[in-house]
Amino acid sequence: MVKESPKKKAEGPEYIRIKFNAPRLYNWSTGKYLGKVYAEAKENKKLVGNRCPQCKEIWLPPTPVCPKCKVDMGWDWVELPQTGAVYQYTYLVYPLWDPHYGEKWANPYPSAIILLDNGVYYRHWLEEKDKEKLKAGTRVQAVWKEDYEERGQGVQDILYFRTLEE
Amino acid sequence: MAERVGIIAVAQTKYHPNRTDVNEEELAYEAIKQVLEETGLTLSDMDSAVTCSQDFLDGRTISSMNIQHVVGAHLGHEDNISEDGINAVYAAMGQILSGHQHIVLVEAHTKESQGDKSLIENAAFDAIFMRQLGLDFTSAAALQARRYMYKYGITAEQCAKVVVRNHANAKNNPFAQEPMDISVDDVLGSKMLISPIRLLDTKPISDGACAMILAPEGKVKKLTRKPVWILGASNCYETHYLGDRDLADCDALVKAAQKAYNMAGITNPLRQIDVAEISTEYSYQEPLWLEGLGFCDQGEGGKLVDSRATKMGGKLPVNPSGGVLPGNPNGVAGMARVAEAVLQLRGEAGDRQVKGAKVALTHGYTGICGQHQAVMILGNM
Repeated sequence: MVKESPKKKAEGPEYIRIKFNAPRLYNWSTGKYLGKVYAEAKENKKLVGNRCPQCKEIWLPPTPVCPKCKVDMGWDWVELPQTGAVYQYTYLVYPLWDPHYGEKWANPYPSAIILLDNGVYYRHWLEEKDKEKLKAGTRVQAVWKEDYEERGQGVQDILYFRTLEE
Repeated sequence: MAERVGIIAVAQTKYHPNRTDVNEEELAYEAIKQVLEETGLTLSDMDSAVTCSQDFLDGRTISSMNIQHVVGAHLGHEDNISEDGINAVYAAMGQILSGHQHIVLVEAHTKESQGDKSLIENAAFDAIFMRQLGLDFTSAAALQARRYMYKYGITAEQCAKVVVRNHANAKNNPFAQEPMDISVDDVLGSKMLISPIRLLDTKPISDGACAMILAPEGKVKKLTRKPVWILGASNCYETHYLGDRDLADCDALVKAAQKAYNMAGITNPLRQIDVAEISTEYSYQEPLWLEGLGFCDQGEGGKLVDSRATKMGGKLPVNPSGGVLPGNPNGVAGMARVAEAVLQLRGEAGDRQVKGAKVALTHGYTGICGQHQAVMILGNM
Protein backbone atom coordinates (compact mmCIF):
# COMPACT_ATOMS: atom_id res chain seq x y z
CA MET A 1 0.00 0.00 0.00
CA VAL A 2 1.37 3.33 -1.00
CA LYS A 3 1.14 5.99 1.60
CA GLU A 4 0.01 9.31 0.25
CA SER A 5 1.94 12.22 1.55
CA PRO A 6 -0.44 14.46 3.50
CA LYS A 7 1.31 17.52 2.05
CA LYS A 8 0.63 16.43 -1.52
CA LYS A 9 -3.02 15.80 -0.79
CA ALA A 10 -3.43 19.29 0.52
CA GLU A 11 -1.92 20.76 -2.67
CA GLY A 12 -4.12 18.74 -5.01
CA PRO A 13 -2.98 16.58 -7.93
CA GLU A 14 0.25 17.43 -9.69
CA TYR A 15 0.20 18.35 -13.35
CA ILE A 16 2.39 20.22 -15.75
CA ARG A 17 1.39 23.78 -16.45
CA ILE A 18 2.37 25.42 -19.73
CA LYS A 19 2.34 29.18 -19.56
CA PHE A 20 2.04 31.62 -22.44
CA ASN A 21 2.74 35.23 -21.60
CA ALA A 22 3.34 36.72 -25.07
CA PRO A 23 1.18 39.82 -25.50
CA ARG A 24 -0.87 39.98 -28.67
CA LEU A 25 -0.76 43.57 -29.84
CA TYR A 26 -3.15 45.21 -32.28
CA ASN A 27 -3.27 48.59 -33.97
CA TRP A 28 -6.95 49.05 -34.68
CA SER A 29 -8.13 51.89 -36.86
CA THR A 30 -11.14 53.82 -35.63
CA GLY A 31 -12.19 54.32 -39.25
CA LYS A 32 -13.81 57.50 -40.48
CA TYR A 33 -17.07 57.31 -38.49
CA LEU A 34 -15.76 56.57 -35.00
CA GLY A 35 -12.71 58.67 -35.91
CA LYS A 36 -15.06 61.65 -36.24
CA VAL A 37 -16.53 60.98 -32.76
CA TYR A 38 -13.11 60.71 -31.15
CA ALA A 39 -11.76 63.78 -32.94
CA GLU A 40 -14.74 65.87 -31.73
CA ALA A 41 -14.10 64.60 -28.19
CA LYS A 42 -10.39 65.42 -28.27
CA GLU A 43 -10.59 68.75 -30.11
CA ASN A 44 -13.87 70.22 -28.89
CA LYS A 45 -15.07 68.16 -25.90
CA LYS A 46 -18.20 67.43 -27.90
CA LEU A 47 -20.30 64.27 -28.09
CA VAL A 48 -21.59 63.54 -31.60
CA GLY A 49 -23.59 60.79 -33.26
CA ASN A 50 -24.72 60.18 -36.84
CA ARG A 51 -28.33 60.42 -38.01
CA CYS A 52 -30.20 58.08 -40.33
CA PRO A 53 -31.58 59.88 -43.41
CA GLN A 54 -34.72 57.71 -43.26
CA CYS A 55 -35.82 57.14 -39.63
CA LYS A 56 -33.79 60.09 -38.25
CA GLU A 57 -32.55 57.96 -35.37
CA ILE A 58 -29.15 59.01 -34.00
CA TRP A 59 -26.49 56.35 -33.48
CA LEU A 60 -23.56 56.40 -31.06
CA PRO A 61 -21.29 54.60 -31.72
CA PRO A 62 -21.91 55.79 -35.24
CA THR A 63 -22.50 53.36 -38.08
CA PRO A 64 -22.15 53.45 -41.89
CA VAL A 65 -25.52 51.67 -42.28
CA CYS A 66 -28.68 52.25 -40.23
CA PRO A 67 -29.27 48.96 -38.37
CA LYS A 68 -33.05 49.45 -38.49
CA CYS A 69 -33.63 50.85 -42.01
CA LYS A 70 -30.57 49.08 -43.52
CA VAL A 71 -29.76 52.14 -45.64
CA ASP A 72 -26.51 54.06 -46.10
CA MET A 73 -26.19 56.66 -43.33
CA GLY A 74 -24.47 59.27 -45.47
CA TRP A 75 -22.58 61.88 -43.44
CA ASP A 76 -25.12 63.64 -41.22
CA TRP A 77 -23.77 64.48 -37.76
CA VAL A 78 -25.61 65.73 -34.70
CA GLU A 79 -24.12 67.17 -31.54
CA LEU A 80 -25.53 65.42 -28.49
CA PRO A 81 -26.40 67.06 -25.17
CA GLN A 82 -23.99 66.23 -22.35
CA THR A 83 -26.71 66.11 -19.73
CA GLY A 84 -29.23 63.38 -19.10
CA ALA A 85 -30.69 61.02 -16.54
CA VAL A 86 -29.36 57.74 -15.13
CA TYR A 87 -31.38 55.10 -16.96
CA GLN A 88 -29.85 52.16 -15.14
CA TYR A 89 -26.76 51.69 -13.03
CA THR A 90 -24.79 48.97 -11.35
CA TYR A 91 -21.77 49.00 -9.11
CA LEU A 92 -18.90 46.61 -9.54
CA VAL A 93 -17.54 44.48 -6.75
CA TYR A 94 -14.96 42.36 -8.55
CA PRO A 95 -12.16 44.09 -10.51
CA LEU A 96 -12.36 44.27 -14.30
CA TRP A 97 -9.51 43.97 -16.76
CA ASP A 98 -7.92 47.24 -17.78
CA PRO A 99 -7.77 46.60 -21.53
CA HIS A 100 -5.05 49.22 -22.05
CA TYR A 101 -2.54 47.70 -19.65
CA GLY A 102 -3.65 44.09 -19.26
CA GLU A 103 -3.90 44.17 -15.50
CA LYS A 104 -6.78 43.75 -13.10
CA TRP A 105 -8.31 47.10 -12.43
CA ALA A 106 -10.27 48.04 -9.40
CA ASN A 107 -12.63 50.36 -11.25
CA PRO A 108 -13.88 52.67 -8.52
CA TYR A 109 -16.86 54.04 -10.45
CA PRO A 110 -20.40 52.69 -10.79
CA SER A 111 -21.25 51.73 -14.34
CA ALA A 112 -24.35 53.28 -15.92
CA ILE A 113 -26.50 53.70 -18.98
CA ILE A 114 -27.38 57.37 -19.27
CA LEU A 115 -30.37 58.60 -21.24
CA LEU A 116 -29.10 61.83 -22.78
CA ASP A 117 -31.58 64.69 -23.04
CA ASN A 118 -32.17 64.04 -26.76
CA GLY A 119 -33.08 60.38 -26.21
CA VAL A 120 -29.73 58.74 -27.09
CA TYR A 121 -28.45 56.13 -24.64
CA TYR A 122 -24.80 56.40 -23.61
CA ARG A 123 -22.82 53.93 -21.53
CA HIS A 124 -20.32 55.41 -19.07
CA TRP A 125 -19.41 55.72 -15.38
CA LEU A 126 -20.91 57.74 -12.56
CA GLU A 127 -18.80 59.87 -10.22
CA GLU A 128 -21.13 59.10 -7.31
CA LYS A 129 -19.77 56.11 -5.38
CA ASP A 130 -22.16 56.15 -2.46
CA LYS A 131 -24.51 53.20 -3.00
CA GLU A 132 -27.21 54.91 -0.96
CA LYS A 133 -27.24 57.87 -3.31
CA LEU A 134 -27.33 55.91 -6.58
CA LYS A 135 -30.74 55.86 -8.16
CA ALA A 136 -32.31 55.73 -11.58
CA GLY A 137 -33.53 59.07 -12.86
CA THR A 138 -30.74 61.11 -11.22
CA ARG A 139 -29.79 64.07 -13.43
CA VAL A 140 -26.12 63.90 -14.51
CA GLN A 141 -23.62 65.76 -16.70
CA ALA A 142 -20.46 64.63 -18.49
CA VAL A 143 -17.12 65.65 -16.96
CA TRP A 144 -14.28 65.81 -19.47
CA LYS A 145 -10.57 65.48 -19.03
CA GLU A 146 -9.61 69.15 -19.13
CA ASP A 147 -6.01 68.71 -20.32
CA TYR A 148 -5.95 68.56 -24.14
CA GLU A 149 -2.87 66.32 -24.07
CA GLU A 150 -4.68 63.78 -21.89
CA ARG A 151 -7.59 63.53 -24.29
CA GLY A 152 -7.41 61.38 -27.45
CA GLN A 153 -8.33 58.22 -25.50
CA GLY A 154 -11.72 57.78 -27.15
CA VAL A 155 -14.57 57.16 -24.69
CA GLN A 156 -12.17 57.74 -21.80
CA ASP A 157 -11.92 61.43 -22.76
CA ILE A 158 -14.96 61.69 -20.51
CA LEU A 159 -13.97 60.90 -16.91
CA TYR A 160 -17.49 60.13 -15.68
CA PHE A 161 -20.95 61.69 -15.32
CA ARG A 162 -21.46 63.95 -12.28
CA THR A 163 -24.74 64.33 -10.37
CA LEU A 164 -26.36 67.71 -11.05
CA GLU A 165 -27.55 69.53 -7.94
CA GLU A 166 -31.12 70.63 -8.60
CA MET B 1 -29.88 19.11 -56.56
CA ALA B 2 -33.39 20.39 -56.94
CA GLU B 3 -32.33 23.78 -58.12
CA ARG B 4 -29.00 25.34 -59.01
CA VAL B 5 -27.41 28.18 -57.06
CA GLY B 6 -26.15 31.20 -58.94
CA ILE B 7 -23.78 34.02 -58.09
CA ILE B 8 -25.35 37.27 -59.26
CA ALA B 9 -22.75 39.84 -58.21
CA VAL B 10 -19.17 39.95 -56.89
CA ALA B 11 -16.93 42.74 -55.63
CA GLN B 12 -13.48 43.11 -54.15
CA THR B 13 -11.63 46.02 -52.61
CA LYS B 14 -8.20 46.83 -53.96
CA TYR B 15 -5.77 44.85 -51.83
CA HIS B 16 -3.47 47.07 -49.79
CA PRO B 17 -0.64 46.56 -47.28
CA ASN B 18 -2.13 48.80 -44.59
CA ARG B 19 -5.62 50.30 -44.71
CA THR B 20 -5.26 52.53 -41.66
CA ASP B 21 -8.01 54.77 -43.07
CA VAL B 22 -10.81 52.27 -42.40
CA ASN B 23 -11.89 49.81 -39.72
CA GLU B 24 -13.08 46.30 -40.58
CA GLU B 25 -16.70 47.37 -40.85
CA GLU B 26 -15.91 50.14 -43.33
CA LEU B 27 -13.59 47.86 -45.31
CA ALA B 28 -16.31 45.22 -45.62
CA TYR B 29 -18.87 47.85 -46.58
CA GLU B 30 -16.69 49.04 -49.48
CA ALA B 31 -17.20 45.65 -51.14
CA ILE B 32 -20.82 45.19 -50.02
CA LYS B 33 -21.84 48.61 -51.37
CA GLN B 34 -20.63 47.59 -54.82
CA VAL B 35 -22.71 44.39 -55.04
CA LEU B 36 -25.80 46.30 -53.87
CA GLU B 37 -25.26 49.02 -56.46
CA GLU B 38 -24.64 46.48 -59.21
CA THR B 39 -27.84 44.51 -58.54
CA GLY B 40 -30.07 47.35 -57.38
CA LEU B 41 -30.88 45.25 -54.31
CA THR B 42 -30.85 46.66 -50.77
CA LEU B 43 -29.73 45.07 -47.52
CA SER B 44 -33.46 44.64 -46.70
CA ASP B 45 -33.73 42.30 -49.72
CA MET B 46 -31.22 39.87 -48.19
CA ASP B 47 -32.71 36.82 -46.48
CA SER B 48 -29.47 35.97 -44.76
CA ALA B 49 -25.81 36.90 -44.50
CA VAL B 50 -22.84 34.55 -44.33
CA THR B 51 -19.69 36.33 -43.20
CA CYS B 52 -16.09 35.21 -42.92
CA SER B 53 -13.60 36.65 -40.46
CA GLN B 54 -11.12 35.27 -37.98
CA ASP B 55 -11.27 36.28 -34.35
CA PHE B 56 -7.50 36.49 -33.79
CA LEU B 57 -6.99 38.54 -36.95
CA ASP B 58 -9.83 40.90 -36.03
CA GLY B 59 -8.66 40.95 -32.43
CA ARG B 60 -12.05 40.19 -30.89
CA THR B 61 -14.11 37.10 -30.24
CA ILE B 62 -17.32 36.66 -32.24
CA SER B 63 -15.69 38.86 -34.86
CA SER B 64 -18.83 39.01 -37.01
CA MET B 65 -20.15 41.56 -34.52
CA ASN B 66 -17.80 44.01 -36.24
CA ILE B 67 -19.81 43.99 -39.43
CA GLN B 68 -23.35 43.29 -38.25
CA HIS B 69 -24.86 46.56 -39.52
CA VAL B 70 -23.18 46.61 -42.94
CA VAL B 71 -24.40 43.09 -43.78
CA GLY B 72 -27.94 44.05 -42.73
CA ALA B 73 -28.00 41.51 -39.93
CA HIS B 74 -29.75 43.60 -37.25
CA LEU B 75 -32.71 41.39 -36.28
CA GLY B 76 -31.73 39.17 -39.20
CA HIS B 77 -30.04 35.88 -39.97
CA GLU B 78 -26.23 35.76 -39.93
CA ASP B 79 -23.67 32.95 -39.81
CA ASN B 80 -19.93 33.39 -39.50
CA ILE B 81 -17.26 31.17 -41.00
CA SER B 82 -13.76 31.37 -39.56
CA GLU B 83 -11.98 29.47 -42.36
CA ASP B 84 -11.54 30.90 -45.84
CA GLY B 85 -14.31 32.93 -47.46
CA ILE B 86 -14.73 30.20 -50.10
CA ASN B 87 -16.32 28.16 -47.31
CA ALA B 88 -18.72 31.05 -46.66
CA VAL B 89 -19.79 30.80 -50.33
CA TYR B 90 -20.26 27.06 -49.80
CA ALA B 91 -22.35 27.65 -46.65
CA ALA B 92 -24.50 30.19 -48.51
CA MET B 93 -25.03 27.64 -51.28
CA GLY B 94 -26.18 25.11 -48.68
CA GLN B 95 -28.63 27.59 -47.16
CA ILE B 96 -30.18 28.25 -50.56
CA LEU B 97 -30.34 24.56 -51.53
CA SER B 98 -32.11 23.84 -48.25
CA GLY B 99 -34.89 26.15 -49.42
CA HIS B 100 -34.65 27.97 -46.11
CA GLN B 101 -32.93 31.10 -47.47
CA HIS B 102 -33.18 32.69 -50.91
CA ILE B 103 -31.07 35.77 -51.47
CA VAL B 104 -27.86 35.51 -49.46
CA LEU B 105 -25.12 38.10 -48.97
CA VAL B 106 -21.63 36.64 -48.51
CA GLU B 107 -18.81 38.77 -47.12
CA ALA B 108 -15.18 38.17 -46.10
CA HIS B 109 -12.71 40.70 -44.74
CA THR B 110 -9.30 40.71 -43.10
CA LYS B 111 -6.92 43.41 -41.99
CA GLU B 112 -3.69 41.50 -41.53
CA SER B 113 -1.90 44.80 -40.93
CA GLN B 114 -3.49 45.42 -37.55
CA GLY B 115 -1.94 42.54 -35.64
CA ASP B 116 1.31 40.58 -35.42
CA LYS B 117 0.73 38.01 -38.18
CA SER B 118 3.36 35.54 -37.01
CA LEU B 119 2.14 35.56 -33.42
CA ILE B 120 -1.50 35.23 -34.51
CA GLU B 121 -0.58 32.29 -36.75
CA ASN B 122 1.26 30.70 -33.82
CA ALA B 123 -2.08 30.67 -32.00
CA ALA B 124 -3.49 28.48 -34.79
CA PHE B 125 -1.31 25.65 -33.48
CA ASP B 126 -2.75 23.62 -30.63
CA ALA B 127 -1.96 25.30 -27.34
CA ILE B 128 -0.30 22.51 -25.42
CA PHE B 129 1.79 20.61 -27.98
CA MET B 130 2.95 22.41 -31.11
CA ARG B 131 2.48 26.07 -30.19
CA GLN B 132 5.44 25.92 -27.83
CA LEU B 133 7.76 25.38 -30.80
CA GLY B 134 7.03 28.92 -31.95
CA LEU B 135 5.87 27.81 -35.39
CA ASP B 136 3.93 30.14 -37.66
CA PHE B 137 2.48 29.43 -41.13
CA THR B 138 5.70 30.33 -42.96
CA SER B 139 7.99 28.19 -40.82
CA ALA B 140 5.58 25.25 -41.14
CA ALA B 141 5.25 25.85 -44.89
CA ALA B 142 9.04 25.73 -45.17
CA LEU B 143 8.97 22.17 -43.83
CA GLN B 144 6.34 21.25 -46.39
CA ALA B 145 8.29 22.96 -49.19
CA ARG B 146 11.48 21.09 -48.28
CA ARG B 147 9.71 17.75 -48.05
CA TYR B 148 7.90 18.30 -51.38
CA MET B 149 11.05 19.44 -53.19
CA TYR B 150 13.04 16.52 -51.75
CA LYS B 151 10.48 13.82 -52.55
CA TYR B 152 9.71 14.87 -56.12
CA GLY B 153 12.79 16.83 -57.17
CA ILE B 154 10.92 20.12 -57.50
CA THR B 155 13.46 22.93 -57.88
CA ALA B 156 13.68 26.44 -56.47
CA GLU B 157 13.73 27.70 -60.09
CA GLN B 158 10.38 26.04 -60.79
CA CYS B 159 8.90 27.69 -57.70
CA ALA B 160 10.42 31.02 -58.74
CA LYS B 161 8.75 30.74 -62.16
CA VAL B 162 5.40 30.57 -60.37
CA VAL B 163 6.19 33.83 -58.58
CA VAL B 164 7.26 35.55 -61.81
CA ARG B 165 4.10 34.51 -63.69
CA ASN B 166 1.72 35.46 -60.88
CA HIS B 167 3.21 38.92 -60.36
CA ALA B 168 3.19 39.53 -64.12
CA ASN B 169 -0.46 38.42 -64.41
CA ALA B 170 -1.29 40.78 -61.55
CA LYS B 171 -0.41 43.71 -63.81
CA ASN B 172 -3.74 43.09 -65.56
CA ASN B 173 -5.70 43.00 -62.31
CA PRO B 174 -6.89 46.37 -60.98
CA PHE B 175 -7.38 44.87 -57.49
CA ALA B 176 -3.82 43.49 -57.21
CA GLN B 177 -1.53 44.74 -54.47
CA GLU B 178 1.92 44.08 -55.94
CA PRO B 179 1.80 43.76 -59.72
CA MET B 180 5.36 43.73 -61.02
CA ASP B 181 7.84 42.56 -63.60
CA ILE B 182 10.41 40.38 -61.88
CA SER B 183 12.77 37.64 -63.04
CA VAL B 184 13.55 34.19 -61.69
CA ASP B 185 16.90 35.63 -60.56
CA ASP B 186 15.10 38.36 -58.59
CA VAL B 187 13.13 35.69 -56.73
CA LEU B 188 16.18 33.50 -56.11
CA GLY B 189 18.13 36.57 -54.97
CA SER B 190 15.47 37.87 -52.59
CA LYS B 191 15.99 37.66 -48.84
CA MET B 192 15.86 34.16 -47.33
CA LEU B 193 13.11 34.01 -44.70
CA ILE B 194 13.02 30.36 -43.69
CA SER B 195 14.83 27.97 -46.01
CA PRO B 196 13.75 27.34 -48.75
CA ILE B 197 11.17 30.16 -48.62
CA ARG B 198 12.48 33.55 -49.72
CA LEU B 199 10.74 36.90 -49.42
CA LEU B 200 9.34 36.73 -52.97
CA ASP B 201 8.22 33.11 -52.49
CA THR B 202 5.51 34.39 -50.18
CA LYS B 203 2.84 37.04 -50.13
CA PRO B 204 3.03 40.46 -48.45
CA ILE B 205 0.85 41.54 -45.51
CA SER B 206 -2.49 42.48 -47.01
CA ASP B 207 -5.84 44.10 -46.14
CA GLY B 208 -9.00 43.66 -48.17
CA ALA B 209 -12.59 42.48 -48.45
CA CYS B 210 -14.79 40.56 -50.86
CA ALA B 211 -18.58 40.42 -51.18
CA MET B 212 -21.09 38.42 -53.24
CA ILE B 213 -24.80 37.86 -53.62
CA LEU B 214 -26.10 34.33 -54.23
CA ALA B 215 -29.62 33.27 -55.22
CA PRO B 216 -31.55 30.16 -56.34
CA GLU B 217 -32.00 29.54 -60.07
CA GLY B 218 -35.61 30.77 -60.11
CA LYS B 219 -34.60 34.19 -58.82
CA VAL B 220 -31.21 34.48 -60.51
CA LYS B 221 -32.62 35.01 -63.97
CA LYS B 222 -34.70 37.98 -62.78
CA LEU B 223 -31.68 39.59 -61.12
CA THR B 224 -28.88 39.29 -63.69
CA ARG B 225 -28.37 38.71 -67.37
CA LYS B 226 -25.00 37.04 -66.71
CA PRO B 227 -25.49 34.36 -64.07
CA VAL B 228 -22.64 32.16 -62.94
CA TRP B 229 -23.58 28.79 -61.48
CA ILE B 230 -21.97 26.73 -58.75
CA LEU B 231 -21.58 23.38 -60.50
CA GLY B 232 -19.72 21.55 -57.78
CA ALA B 233 -18.24 22.27 -54.35
CA SER B 234 -16.59 20.36 -51.58
CA ASN B 235 -14.08 20.65 -48.80
CA CYS B 236 -11.90 18.28 -46.85
CA TYR B 237 -9.93 18.43 -43.64
CA GLU B 238 -6.79 16.54 -42.68
CA THR B 239 -4.61 16.04 -39.65
CA HIS B 240 -3.29 19.01 -37.71
CA TYR B 241 -0.04 17.43 -36.46
CA LEU B 242 2.58 17.89 -39.13
CA GLY B 243 4.17 14.53 -38.42
CA ASP B 244 0.92 12.66 -39.06
CA ARG B 245 0.91 13.14 -42.85
CA ASP B 246 3.35 13.17 -45.71
CA LEU B 247 3.61 16.89 -46.38
CA ALA B 248 4.72 16.22 -49.97
CA ASP B 249 1.19 15.08 -50.81
CA CYS B 250 -2.12 16.77 -50.25
CA ASP B 251 -4.69 14.05 -49.64
CA ALA B 252 -7.33 16.49 -48.40
CA LEU B 253 -7.17 18.44 -51.65
CA VAL B 254 -7.38 15.23 -53.72
CA LYS B 255 -10.55 14.26 -51.87
CA ALA B 256 -12.11 17.73 -51.99
CA ALA B 257 -11.43 17.95 -55.73
CA GLN B 258 -12.81 14.49 -56.50
CA LYS B 259 -16.07 15.24 -54.72
CA ALA B 260 -16.45 18.63 -56.42
CA TYR B 261 -15.62 17.08 -59.81
CA ASN B 262 -18.22 14.32 -59.29
CA MET B 263 -20.85 16.91 -58.48
CA ALA B 264 -19.93 19.00 -61.54
CA GLY B 265 -19.58 16.01 -63.88
CA ILE B 266 -15.87 16.55 -64.49
CA THR B 267 -13.87 13.47 -65.40
CA ASN B 268 -10.91 15.09 -67.16
CA PRO B 269 -10.08 18.33 -65.34
CA LEU B 270 -7.32 19.48 -67.69
CA ARG B 271 -9.63 19.18 -70.70
CA GLN B 272 -12.91 20.30 -69.16
CA ILE B 273 -11.73 23.27 -67.07
CA ASP B 274 -10.90 26.49 -68.92
CA VAL B 275 -9.31 28.53 -66.14
CA ALA B 276 -8.16 27.94 -62.58
CA GLU B 277 -7.86 30.41 -59.73
CA ILE B 278 -6.03 28.73 -56.87
CA SER B 279 -4.81 29.96 -53.48
CA THR B 280 -1.06 29.81 -52.99
CA GLU B 281 0.41 31.80 -50.14
CA TYR B 282 3.81 30.23 -50.96
CA SER B 283 5.23 29.52 -54.39
CA TYR B 284 5.80 25.76 -53.88
CA GLN B 285 2.08 25.37 -53.28
CA GLU B 286 1.10 26.01 -56.89
CA PRO B 287 2.72 22.87 -58.35
CA LEU B 288 1.66 20.89 -55.25
CA TRP B 289 -1.97 22.00 -55.40
CA LEU B 290 -2.07 21.45 -59.20
CA GLU B 291 -1.15 17.82 -58.48
CA GLY B 292 -3.82 17.53 -55.80
CA LEU B 293 -6.39 18.98 -58.17
CA GLY B 294 -5.59 16.26 -60.68
CA PHE B 295 -4.20 18.52 -63.42
CA CYS B 296 -1.12 16.27 -63.48
CA ASP B 297 0.22 13.20 -61.72
CA GLN B 298 1.82 13.26 -58.28
CA GLY B 299 5.27 14.79 -58.45
CA GLU B 300 4.67 16.24 -61.93
CA GLY B 301 3.63 19.71 -60.75
CA GLY B 302 7.08 21.14 -61.45
CA LYS B 303 6.92 20.04 -65.07
CA LEU B 304 3.44 21.52 -65.40
CA VAL B 305 4.58 24.95 -64.21
CA ASP B 306 7.61 24.67 -66.52
CA SER B 307 5.35 24.15 -69.51
CA ARG B 308 3.31 26.82 -71.27
CA ALA B 309 0.07 25.23 -70.07
CA THR B 310 -0.49 27.41 -67.01
CA LYS B 311 0.35 30.72 -68.73
CA MET B 312 -2.19 33.05 -70.28
CA GLY B 313 -3.10 31.49 -73.63
CA GLY B 314 -2.05 28.04 -72.38
CA LYS B 315 -4.22 24.95 -72.00
CA LEU B 316 -5.06 25.83 -68.40
CA PRO B 317 -4.33 29.45 -67.46
CA VAL B 318 -3.67 29.43 -63.70
CA ASN B 319 -4.38 32.64 -61.78
CA PRO B 320 -4.93 35.20 -64.56
CA SER B 321 -5.53 37.58 -61.64
CA GLY B 322 -2.07 36.94 -60.21
CA GLY B 323 -3.58 34.93 -57.37
CA VAL B 324 -2.58 35.31 -53.76
CA LEU B 325 1.22 35.79 -54.09
CA PRO B 326 0.99 39.47 -55.11
CA GLY B 327 -1.04 40.10 -51.95
CA ASN B 328 -4.41 38.86 -50.64
CA PRO B 329 -5.27 38.53 -46.96
CA ASN B 330 -5.86 35.16 -45.34
CA GLY B 331 -9.57 34.49 -45.06
CA VAL B 332 -10.35 36.55 -48.16
CA ALA B 333 -7.91 34.82 -50.55
CA GLY B 334 -10.06 31.83 -51.57
CA MET B 335 -13.25 33.85 -51.89
CA ALA B 336 -11.34 36.31 -54.07
CA ARG B 337 -10.56 33.35 -56.35
CA VAL B 338 -14.31 32.73 -56.69
CA ALA B 339 -14.89 36.43 -57.43
CA GLU B 340 -12.19 36.36 -60.11
CA ALA B 341 -13.67 33.22 -61.68
CA VAL B 342 -17.09 34.88 -61.80
CA LEU B 343 -15.58 37.81 -63.71
CA GLN B 344 -13.91 35.34 -66.10
CA LEU B 345 -17.18 33.48 -66.73
CA ARG B 346 -19.07 36.72 -67.31
CA GLY B 347 -16.45 37.88 -69.78
CA GLU B 348 -15.76 40.89 -67.55
CA ALA B 349 -12.15 40.16 -66.58
CA GLY B 350 -10.69 42.93 -68.75
CA ASP B 351 -7.04 42.46 -69.71
CA ARG B 352 -6.83 39.22 -67.72
CA GLN B 353 -9.80 37.62 -69.56
CA VAL B 354 -9.40 34.00 -70.70
CA LYS B 355 -11.28 34.00 -73.98
CA GLY B 356 -14.47 31.97 -74.03
CA ALA B 357 -14.07 30.59 -70.50
CA LYS B 358 -17.08 28.42 -69.66
CA VAL B 359 -15.93 26.36 -66.68
CA ALA B 360 -13.64 27.62 -63.91
CA LEU B 361 -12.02 25.95 -60.94
CA THR B 362 -11.54 27.89 -57.73
CA HIS B 363 -9.65 26.80 -54.65
CA GLY B 364 -9.07 28.02 -51.14
CA TYR B 365 -7.41 26.61 -48.09
CA THR B 366 -7.15 27.35 -44.39
CA GLY B 367 -4.55 26.55 -41.82
CA ILE B 368 -1.16 25.02 -41.55
CA CYS B 369 0.34 23.46 -44.71
CA GLY B 370 -3.08 23.39 -46.39
CA GLN B 371 -4.80 21.47 -43.62
CA HIS B 372 -8.30 22.37 -44.77
CA GLN B 373 -8.91 22.42 -48.53
CA ALA B 374 -11.91 23.69 -50.48
CA VAL B 375 -12.70 23.38 -54.19
CA MET B 376 -15.54 25.04 -56.10
CA ILE B 377 -16.36 24.58 -59.78
CA LEU B 378 -18.24 27.38 -61.51
CA GLY B 379 -19.83 27.56 -64.96
CA ASN B 380 -21.79 30.01 -67.07
CA MET B 381 -23.97 27.52 -68.96
